[in-house]
Amino acid sequence: MRFARALHCLPLMAVFGFASCGNDPNPKPLASAHADGSPWTVYYGSLSAEARSLDPQYAYDQISHHILEPIYDTLLQYAVMKTDPYEVEPCLLESMPEKVQEADGSVSYACRLKSGIFFHDDPCFPGGKGREVVARDVQYAFQRLSDPAEESPVFSDLAEYVRGMDEIFKEARQTGRFDYDHQTVSGVELIDAYSFKLHLLKPYPQILYWLAQQFTAPVAREAVTYYDGKAGRPLFKFHPVGDGPFKLDSWIPNQSFRFVRNPTYHTTVFPTGGWKPEYEAADRPLAGRTLPLVDEVDLTVFREILPIWLLTRQGYIDRYGVMKDAANSALTSTNELAPKYAARGMKLNKELEVSTFFMVFNMQDPLVGSNRKLRQALSCSYNPQGFIDLLYGGAAPIAQQMLPPGIFGYDKDFKNPYGFNLEKARRLIAEAGYPDGIDPKTNAPLELALDVVAAGGEERQLAEYDQRQLEQIGVKVRLIEDTFARQQEKEDQGNFQIIAGSGWGADYPDPENFFFLLYSKNFPPAGKNAARYANPEFDKTFEQMACIENSPERLELIRKLNDIEIEDCPILLNFNKGYYLISQPWAPLTHSNMLLEGGLKYASVDPVLRKQKQREWNPIAKWPAPAALLVVAGVVGCAIQLNRKRNA
Amino acid sequence: MLSYLIRRLLLTPLIIFGVMVLTFVIFFAVHSPEAMARNVLGKRANPTNIYEWLHHRGYDKPVLFNLGQARVSADRHPYDSTGLFDTVFFHQMRDLATLHLGVSDVTGKDLNEVFKQGAIPSLLLTLPAYVCGFFMAVGLALFLVFVRNSALDGAGGLVCVALMSIPPMVYIIFGQAVVALGLDYFPAFGFQLSGLSTARFLILPVALMIVMHLGYDVRLYRAVFLEEIAQDYVRTAKAKGVSNARLLLVHVLKNGMIALITMVIAYLPLLILGSMLVENFFGIPGLGNLLVDALHTSDQAVVRSTTFLTAILYIIGLTITDICYAIVDPRIRLS
Repeated sequence: MRFARALHCLPLMAVFGFASCGNDPNPKPLASAHADGSPWTVYYGSLSAEARSLDPQYAYDQISHHILEPIYDTLLQYAVMKTDPYEVEPCLLESMPEKVQEADGSVSYACRLKSGIFFHDDPCFPGGKGREVVARDVQYAFQRLSDPAEESPVFSDLAEYVRGMDEIFKEARQTGRFDYDHQTVSGVELIDAYSFKLHLLKPYPQILYWLAQQFTAPVAREAVTYYDGKAGRPLFKFHPVGDGPFKLDSWIPNQSFRFVRNPTYHTTVFPTGGWKPEYEAADRPLAGRTLPLVDEVDLTVFREILPIWLLTRQGYIDRYGVMKDAANSALTSTNELAPKYAARGMKLNKELEVSTFFMVFNMQDPLVGSNRKLRQALSCSYNPQGFIDLLYGGAAPIAQQMLPPGIFGYDKDFKNPYGFNLEKARRLIAEAGYPDGIDPKTNAPLELALDVVAAGGEERQLAEYDQRQLEQIGVKVRLIEDTFARQQEKEDQGNFQIIAGSGWGADYPDPENFFFLLYSKNFPPAGKNAARYANPEFDKTFEQMACIENSPERLELIRKLNDIEIEDCPILLNFNKGYYLISQPWAPLTHSNMLLEGGLKYASVDPVLRKQKQREWNPIAKWPAPAALLVVAGVVGCAIQLNRKRNA
Repeated sequence: MLSYLIRRLLLTPLIIFGVMVLTFVIFFAVHSPEAMARNVLGKRANPTNIYEWLHHRGYDKPVLFNLGQARVSADRHPYDSTGLFDTVFFHQMRDLATLHLGVSDVTGKDLNEVFKQGAIPSLLLTLPAYVCGFFMAVGLALFLVFVRNSALDGAGGLVCVALMSIPPMVYIIFGQAVVALGLDYFPAFGFQLSGLSTARFLILPVALMIVMHLGYDVRLYRAVFLEEIAQDYVRTAKAKGVSNARLLLVHVLKNGMIALITMVIAYLPLLILGSMLVENFFGIPGLGNLLVDALHTSDQAVVRSTTFLTAILYIIGLTITDICYAIVDPRIRLS
């Protein structure tokens, strides 16, 4: 009987036995030390969703780019330390592409790949040894971009400028098949094994930024042919074969990605200068070091935000972008790091994405489109600060102009004359013909329709904030709640008055990539000018500005575009997206380049300090086991007592 | 019994067809194929790639019937469709009838593979929670019946009502914050499918799932047992001098089980679909969030396959329940 009772305690003991194994959720590193005894370093990061595809020519979502960046090196790359303004520098290329004026007047760029750069070792290559990256692989990447079957989302963007893409795309669509042996992109002219020339249809200096994206990264044809989804082989889009600083070691769907250092990588090194003052202490010791700085990277998929913060507090995640859910416990009321975490050596940094968020006025709407003063009045009535506080804990700056910080032409001293100013708003609404927001024709408040995407409670809260702000000048704002797709449809049809929550994140850091949102040839559905803003003066200036390189002349054109846009007010500027980032004492930030998708090759970690802190932060409590046993024993004892009494 | 089974088998395709038609209509009433493409392509959407996206997934065909309506994509490419039934609906139904789940519209992953991969973590979470939870609830219910009408019974009832009243989210947050973060016992998040160490990740979520349902189950089972204990045969057994413990563990338990099994068995096949909330918060890569995620990302292929599987599993569950009824209670005849 006593034995049987002991058996009852077994599950309980097993539970506490497992408990004593600790709470580290991270998988065991691939190695514990290098052959020379130095520690094996691992960076632990988080992802907010699953990657959709790891095909460099196809993947377009941010998570997929985050996974692709460490695997595929690009022809050019964003100079990690240069963020004001952002700049590109050679990566796989030996030097910056050289602009050539061809005899027929067209423009081309002469490029030469570095020699001695190899694809990762993979069974798709003879003998499993990665072969050298050559110019032919760049041609192949452009062929894939032009293949309708690959569904590259950037095909139209590039085909407009790169010679020959459109023709072979159309041919393939006619025949239903893309012939990779014979249909080559004439815009990518191979000179020798390493050199090629990129021929453009018209001047487009921004092409250099495209060369810094995964879309144009060289791809080995062997890999695409080999990984065909047959005979147990995965599809190429699930099995990337790159040439970058890391190799994908494992991908457990919906769970995690693990990268391991590419041992032969030597394409880039850590910058030897240009560090920002706040990162200098972390950067100086790393200067000139071969990249990547860690041996392994483990990224876990988190579908909820709260657990990331929990694991950060335990020391199992190296970095945490503070989201609304956890802001209360991580930050003080003045938006500083809570003292408890500051004392642990954690650091708080502000991160600023290269984006601008705004509301869009429909310029073809008979009411808001024709009344500039009305738009200006609405712009003056809106205070973005409340929105920013609600959503980003105050970390995002108010947008004063269409260009966000970091883009050539951004003027940090510029203040939007139609920024929040209620007094001015009231004056403007009177000048617009609606004193105190009253429509003299009906003698009732002027009614406006605001389209919002409202999928959840938080979005509704934000929509109501927008509504209250605009109503401050006496007008009445009716909220129309749409799904994302419905709102896109309405944008395409021009079937709205004002749309809230629009925004643009830079494809590349060029003013053209923002002002094109107001260019009259970019009306939806083909283009992104949702406001349907058409101003010949703006168009002319934009066309001049778009195709020249950064210069004082260009700066002047940008100022002019900005002035026209601000005065005409086709969009209501809201904010530039920014948020707080908490980093662990053993993994200090080394840069703040937001055009890198994580910049994993620049991440550095001190594994010894981490181990020590993890032990310090996770002491295992001893008292619950005996306490639980005591409670169980008490209840059982009571029952036995009761039974005896009843049987007696 | 056999004729009953055959009848069930014949009805199943009809029920499933009905479910699929309903799902199809509801999904496409909310989302046009173009809207799906837009949702997936996001800011990259333009007429060319929207058309290519639709074309490669067969959504460029008419939705229900092809009545010869000429459609042209925004970049002037004709949508192709031949014959009255060359439509999205008929192609999908044909694929499902031949058990071709196809690939995800968003990721292009083979859905057979997706379900296979997700089913194991889901079952590892829900099966132990279901089995342990059932036995614990039965045990506790018996215990409460054993000590009925005492202070302990009252306290037990109070605890059960309290457990029922707390929302599931609170359990999860409590479990993570106190057990994982405060006591540092188990990982607050994560999963590894590697032998015994898998248990380390599962104990906390399984325990929380048990606790979430325990209050309700114990109250319910207790009521069932109490009803049983008022029966004549119990009085007879008692009069014959059977001890309290034996009475409960042998007589009442056996007869009460008939009612309990039929209550819980219908859900057995659905365990494979996992638990959305717990899987999300603990990072268990199961099937729990598949449907919700698919609705968010406009992945109609996944929505279609998930509802299809759910419908089949539910019908299997109900059939098993009926059969169990017939087996444990000879008074019931299925024919």
